[in-house]
Amino acid sequence: MSENQKKILEMLAQNKINADEAYRLLNVIESGEGTLESNGKTATAMKGKVKYLRVTVLPDAEHEHSGNVDRVNVRVPISLIRAGIKLTSLIPPEARDKVNGALREKGIDFDVRSVKPEDLEEIIEALSDLEVDVVSSKGEKVRVFVE
Amino acid sequence: MKRPPILMLLRIQGERRAFGLWLPLFLLLPLALVVFIILSPMILIALLVLWPIGWGKRALLVLKAACEIFWSIRGLKVDIHGSNQCVYISVV
Repeated sequence: MSENQKKILEMLAQNKINADEAYRLLNVIESGEGTLESNGKTATAMKGKVKYLRVTVLPDAEHEHSGNVDRVNVRVPISLIRAGIKLTSLIPPEARDKVNGALREKGIDFDVRSVKPEDLEEIIEALSDLEVDVVSSKGEKVRVFVE
Repeated sequence: MKRPPILMLLRIQGERRAFGLWLPLFLLLPLALVVFIILSPMILIALLVLWPIGWGKRALLVLKAACEIFWSIRGLKVDIHGSNQCVYISVV
C-alpha cells in the first residue's frame, strides 16, 4: 500500500472525507494521476493539474485557409473563475433579482444567490470533468474543456 | 504564491483601423501602490464616513475582490477573429 493510499484511508477514518471522495481519490492514485491535498475538507486530486478553461471555435477544414472565417480561442485561468465566483456575493440584491429574471427569461431557472464561495472547490472539481465538443451544421468545431 | 501579471497586450484590428496597446503592468502596479499610499488618508476618512451606513464594508470587499481578480488574471488569453475584426488580449 502506497503512502498516498494510507493517507486517504487515515482521512476517511478521521471523517475528514467521505467514502465517495475516498473512492475517487484511490481511483485517481491507482491510475497514476494527481496529488493528494491534505486540507481535510475536499481532497481534489486533479486540482494541481487544472489551470485553464479553454473555449475554441474553429472553422471546418474546408474553410480553414480562407480569410473570411470566424475563429475563437479563449483561455481563462481557473483562479480568475474562482475570484469571479466570489464576486457574486457582492452583487446588490436589486441587481441580483434582475440577473435572475434575465436568466429565467432565457429558460434558465437558476438563482445567482445559490452560488456560494464554500461551493467553489466542488464547482472547480466538476469543471475538471467538463468537456463539450460540438460540430455545427456549417462544420465549425466548438470545444469547451479544461487543461 | 501566485505571481502578479507582468504585461498586458491588447490588439484590435478592424477593416480600416488597427489599435494596439502594450501595458507594462509590472510598472503600473508600483505606481498604483504609491498613489494608494498618498491617497490613503482620504480613503480612510471615506471608509469611516461610509462604515455606519454599511457601505464601508462593501467598499473593502470590492477592493479585496479587485485585488484578487488582478492577481488571477495572469494567463488570460482571448483571440477572436471575425470576418471584419480581430481582437487579441493576452496577459502574461
